Amino acid sequence: MDKLIICRCEEVSLEDIENTANKYSCSARELKLRTRAGMGYCGGRTCRPAVDAVLEEVTGEKPGNDIPLKVQPPVRPVSLSVLGGKKR
Amino acid sequence: MYDVVIIGAGPAGLSAAIACRESNLHVLVIDEFPKPGGRLLGQLHQEPTGEWWNGIEETKILMDKATTLNTEIKCGISAHHIEKTDHGYSVHTNEGVFESENLLIATGAAETAVPIPGWTLPGVMSIGAAQVMTNVHRVRVGNKGVVVGVNVLSAAIARELQLAGVELHSMALPASNPVTKNHANPRKVMEGLVRIAHLAPSAFIRFGSKFAKAEWVRNIAVSFYPKGGVKMWGMPIHIRKAIVQINGTEKVESVTMCDITADGEIVKGSEKIIEVDFVCIAGGLYPLAELASVIGCPFQYVEELGGHVPVHNEQMETPLEGLFVAGNITGIESAKVARAQGTLAGLSIVKQKLRDHKDINAKIQQAVANVQAVRDAASIQFHPGIDEGRKKIESAFEEYKIS
Ligand SMILES: Cc1cc2nc3c(=O)[nH]c(=O)nc-3n(C[C@H](O)[C@H](O)[C@H](O)COP(=O)(O)OP(=O)(O)OC[C@H]3O[C@@H](n4cnc5c(N)ncnc54)[C@H](O)[C@@H]3O)c2cc1C
Ligand code: FES
Repeated sequence: MDKLIICRCEEVSLEDIENTANKYSCSARELKLRTRAGMGYCGGRTCRPAVDAVLEEVTGEKPGNDIPLKVQPPVRPVSLSVLGGKKR
Repeated sequence: MYDVVIIGAGPAGLSAAIACRESNLHVLVIDEFPKPGGRLLGQLHQEPTGEWWNGIEETKILMDKATTLNTEIKCGISAHHIEKTDHGYSVHTNEGVFESENLLIATGAAETAVPIPGWTLPGVMSIGAAQVMTNVHRVRVGNKGVVVGVNVLSAAIARELQLAGVELHSMALPASNPVTKNHANPRKVMEGLVRIAHLAPSAFIRFGSKFAKAEWVRNIAVSFYPKGGVKMWGMPIHIRKAIVQINGTEKVESVTMCDITADGEIVKGSEKIIEVDFVCIAGGLYPLAELASVIGCPFQYVEELGGHVPVHNEQMETPLEGLFVAGNITGIESAKVARAQGTLAGLSIVKQKLRDHKDINAKIQQAVANVQAVRDAASIQFHPGIDEGRKKIESAFEEYKIS
């Protein structure tokens, strides 16, 4: 069977996340930083709930009231010129 | 400087804009989709009364009102960041920065993905994408498909695909893994099915009466679920079969379907290959609250509302002054509830702006009651226990105010 991809943008598989969790026994936050799951082009809009579900399973941490790994702006892909204050 | 910038032109955002314009506030509505209407645009279903809910018509009604009131609505504009300023908020978009005293975030919901092996192949799409292609863009999603995930949304959209003449082989559950687990559990899925039994008045009556609300009845229904599935509108719904793999080299060519036990375990040796050229995955919805998170609004995790929601009160105010929320960002409910919440949020914004507005409190009370009435009468309910969820978020708001 093919690897089960969880984060499409960064091509992180379920296996990658589980292996990293076992190797470093780390927090949900550290797991994301190590695997880059949820940190791709879509800003995690596609995989965030899936990544959170896997993290809950492997770390045993229930979702808290804070959004795991805080959302960072920009929440949409934007060009550098827009960030620099130009329109488009 | 606007009195209010509204992010999202769905039923919540548009209704709020109308309420604000009726009190002559300076309003700007932005939406990243090329057309206003939000998720309304794709909706088409029959109410238990037999009446049709046509989202395009509903959008037109809202847009006609908004246009009569000279509401400024800009589409094709994405907000990617919000900042607090001394006078309110700065909304950063791909068309520049908009300054506003108040801000309403009405960004709706996003779909939860259902990762199963092969889900990254071309031809696999979320059920919502299939809805938008079919009902908004009028594009045929494929010749023959299968729906993975059985819930209120996928059942409603499967029906829409059928009405558009797209052939569906069946609906079945996803194979179980750490992400899909609840969607892959026949007992959990049955609980949800009971709540949609009333959706299809004629064809569904027998189906509905089979699965009464009592748990023991549901258990029996799961244990003795017919091998051929239960047919809804002529299409088999399987809760004792799962799609374990989507196959294909360049694109979807087939799926592998297995029998599963009442607890969702795969029955070995039951694999069947079914030829399809598209697959819709349906994992439900979660509030799209990224912008509220960026601005530092506190959150509460409330399962009944669909996940993390910005803390807010009955009047749609958040603990941040001048920041309001409405619609599915506050919890997953139907379009009618979103619309009622939008009106309420609009009135609350009017109150914030025109502090001495005399009859506004009465109007707000009426709007609060209306949201509840619409909720109680809703024919589509995404989550059980929505009322408990609402109470939790309100008490979170109260606690936040005290601390
Ligand atoms: C795929 C799908 C199908 C649904 N089907 C049904 C159904 O059949 N019946 C039903 O009752 N409910 C359905 N719903 C629930 C639906 O969310 C509500 O019916 C209703 O549309 C919610 O209204 P809203 O105004 O909160 O959000 P929406 O209608 O989702 O509108 C939100 C708007 O905000 C815009 N937006 C989001 N982020 C940004 C940003 N950063 N910048 C600019 N604009 C932004 C979006 O483009 C969108 O137009 C469905 C939801 C989804 C996701
Ligand atoms: S799918 Fe993971 S960041 Fe886009």
